[in-house]
Amino acid sequence: MKTMMFAAAMVVATPALADARVGAPAPAFTATAADGKTVRLADLRGKTVVLEWTNAGCPFVRAHYDSGNMQATQAAAQKAGAVWLTTNSGAPGKQGHVDGAGARAQLAADKATPSAYLLDADGAIGNAYGAKTTPHIFVINPAGTLAYAGAINDRPTADQGDARAGTNYATGAVKAVVAGKAPDPATTKPYGCSVKYR
Amino acid sequence: MIRSLILLLAALLSAPALAQSVSEQPHTRLEIIAESRTPMPGQPLSIGLKLTPKDGWHTYWQNPGDAGAPTRVAWTLPAGMPDPAPLAYPVPETLVVSGLMNYVYAKPNTLLTTLTPPAGTAKRAAFTVTAKVDWLVCSHEQCVPESATVSLPLSIGDGTTDPEKGYMIALARAALPKPVEWAATWKVANGRFVLAVPFATPEKVRSAYFFAEADGAVDYAAPQAVTIAGDRIRIETAASPDVAGPVKGVLRVEREGDEHELGFAITAQPGEVPAAGLPLAGNRPVAETPTLGFIIIGAILGGIILNIMPCVFPILSLKALSLASGNVPAREAQRDALAYAAGVIIVCAALGGLVLLLRAAGSQVGWAFQLQDPRVIAGLLLLVTAIALNLAGVFEVTASTGTLGDNTIRKGGVMGSFATGALAAFVATPCTGPFMAGALGAALVLPPLAAIAVFAGLGLGISIPFLLVGFVPALRRRLPRPGAWMTRLRAILSVPMFLTALALAWVLGRQAGVEGMTAGLAGAMGLGLLLWWLGSRQHGGRGGAWVPAGVAVVVAVAAIALLPISTPAQALGTSAPAGLRATRYSPEKLADLQAAGTPVFLYMTADWCLTCKVNEKGAMASPVVAEAFANKGIAVLEGDWTRGDAQISQWLAQQNRAGVPVYVFYDGKGGSQELPQILTVSELVALG
Repeated sequence: MKTMMFAAAMVVATPALADARVGAPAPAFTATAADGKTVRLADLRGKTVVLEWTNAGCPFVRAHYDSGNMQATQAAAQKAGAVWLTTNSGAPGKQGHVDGAGARAQLAADKATPSAYLLDADGAIGNAYGAKTTPHIFVINPAGTLAYAGAINDRPTADQGDARAGTNYATGAVKAVVAGKAPDPATTKPYGCSVKYR
Repeated sequence: MIRSLILLLAALLSAPALAQSVSEQPHTRLEIIAESRTPMPGQPLSIGLKLTPKDGWHTYWQNPGDAGAPTRVAWTLPAGMPDPAPLAYPVPETLVVSGLMNYVYAKPNTLLTTLTPPAGTAKRAAFTVTAKVDWLVCSHEQCVPESATVSLPLSIGDGTTDPEKGYMIALARAALPKPVEWAATWKVANGRFVLAVPFATPEKVRSAYFFAEADGAVDYAAPQAVTIAGDRIRIETAASPDVAGPVKGVLRVEREGDEHELGFAITAQPGEVPAAGLPLAGNRPVAETPTLGFIIIGAILGGIILNIMPCVFPILSLKALSLASGNVPAREAQRDALAYAAGVIIVCAALGGLVLLLRAAGSQVGWAFQLQDPRVIAGLLLLVTAIALNLAGVFEVTASTGTLGDNTIRKGGVMGSFATGALAAFVATPCTGPFMAGALGAALVLPPLAAIAVFAGLGLGISIPFLLVGFVPALRRRLPRPGAWMTRLRAILSVPMFLTALALAWVLGRQAGVEGMTAGLAGAMGLGLLLWWLGSRQHGGRGGAWVPAGVAVVVAVAAIALLPISTPAQALGTSAPAGLRATRYSPEKLADLQAAGTPVFLYMTADWCLTCKVNEKGAMASPVVAEAFANKGIAVLEGDWTRGDAQISQWLAQQNRAGVPVYVFYDGKGGSQELPQILTVSELVALG
């Protein structure tokens, strides 16, 4: 039963409303990070960039952080030379919304060290990419083309055991892009809580 | 002793815990139910998992939509019993949160399966069915994964149905989508996914929605436009990029007269789909639909008003004055009036009938659709130019002028009156905007005969003034005596006709570009010169007038035939006042804006629609409106129907409208409001 659902989720996985399509140029953005710095996607040309949508109140996100899977995935990507941008599109008043201080506190609590934590409370980046769930992963290749969009792994549950297990699509996509190849799969169905847009 | 007592106590305490068939979780109650407590060996037994989310919370369908997760279950069954079938889910509901679509149950929902105790299992053999269920329960603000293990002790027996649980299972079964073998088809064109499903009672459908079972077919959050095309339900929405192969899902249909919505499990194969059809029964508000009589009265009143439109007034007034001579016998006047009325009514009914026929054939046309073709506009331009020149006295229409299109118009007699009426009705169509949109829109969704009656009513309205003149001698006597002033009046009345020609030339330019307009004007000029030649022969009393008349017809036909009908480049712009920063309408754009919660002012226009242009140059052009819209973040979308457009026609059908203009304000929170067809600045400023 379980395997059937996974199979169903994998075989037919394509992002539905992703305005950013795999194979097309990744939408440009300028964002303020938790440390107050400005991050421009255009400045990151030449590097592999990972966007991770987060919401610290979402059980699916919690499963990946509390199990240490997200931190490990971030570290592996950065070690491979990728820039990891954790992004929060939660609107003020909604679950998981943070300001800069809140984001820094959350990173400290989770012992997570992404390259930057982007504050997207108005949902501009989230809407440009069509981010639907937390977590939702996008991998952009050094040429600025979207190479992967979808789930972090193939276990769509909020279970810590499942978070560590299974195939880590994000790690696989980063490895492929760094090696100059197209990730396989390049799109999967993201799972998790809905992004708490305004 | 004490030790064994404690053990016994522990066993007693733990046993009920293991055998719980109900689990209360913080946000959901889970219960496992079986149709029978004493199932028969070898016979399938229905088992249900009933999830009851607390108020404000929901659980998910098998395909949760943009976010969320389906419910998962792991069974623990006695050895030898095969795993049950995958869970069958009841028909879900839609829930849009922050522009993301969720397919959910915000109410108790029972997921069903069957298991079969192996044949030959001993009677009275007891066994336990245990299910570890993991599900996601969410409110608008947060999501909580919950998990519980429930179990049910059963024993093999005669299969007697449990009265209470059996009823719950029966209800749950009724809530499942009904598997059907309908020949549903789907097709993707221009990023739009169109699904066509044959349906037995399409006229009763009030609403329909397609839940795709798997990712990759449709964009979940995009609105689904539902129309009835013949005997099929047609659903159009935004497609996923890579849809292929059979598309499975659940079609939810709400029918008039039914207490509950119906659900059908369908599989659509790639194939041909019809063009958008008629609006749903649900879009015809039962309480608000005026009666047929009321619609016809509206059409008649609209027809009367049309008489003072610049395109109709000169024709009518000259026709009326032809009876003013005082010495026209009453019988002849009545005959003329009847013939005129017949001409108007027949042309109106025929145009209406043609619209209905084309729509029934699946074509997306509306009232005044003939004006979407630049060749018709060019033809009207030449005709109106000829009428204007005739009124101006350049040439006369006599029996001897041969085959000129309007040769019978001013000739006396039945045929002449009939032709005048037909012409009046034909040239009146571009003016049918503000007064009749409601009535004609309603007519298009009426049964065909009633619809034709409404169109005929419009014709009757147009002909009423002339009927009055024909049948009321007192009115005729009140008309001024004929005299030299009539020639002057005729010439004056040529001015609105020339203006109509000017307007038509402009429309032609918008439709077919500068080349098209030039061709049309060249044709008009050629025609004018020939008619002048004809006139000079007439005035000179010379015969052979058929020569210039014949050449004139040839020139007119040639001008229309040679008209370049390519779409001009301006098709990408909008005709909205610049201050509004309008963009062109597309269903996707509207969906995106709505998904983003942006308020939208959407209007449908056409260059040949006088009311539309008046509004665009008037209220909409006011800087106050532009400022108010900018302050409130109202996005403006314009749909240009000048050359026809399937997407706009479809939108109009959804709005239950036959033509333009239509002005709708979407407040960004799911509500919408239709504005009157004549806009005022205060109304526009008050939006949002």
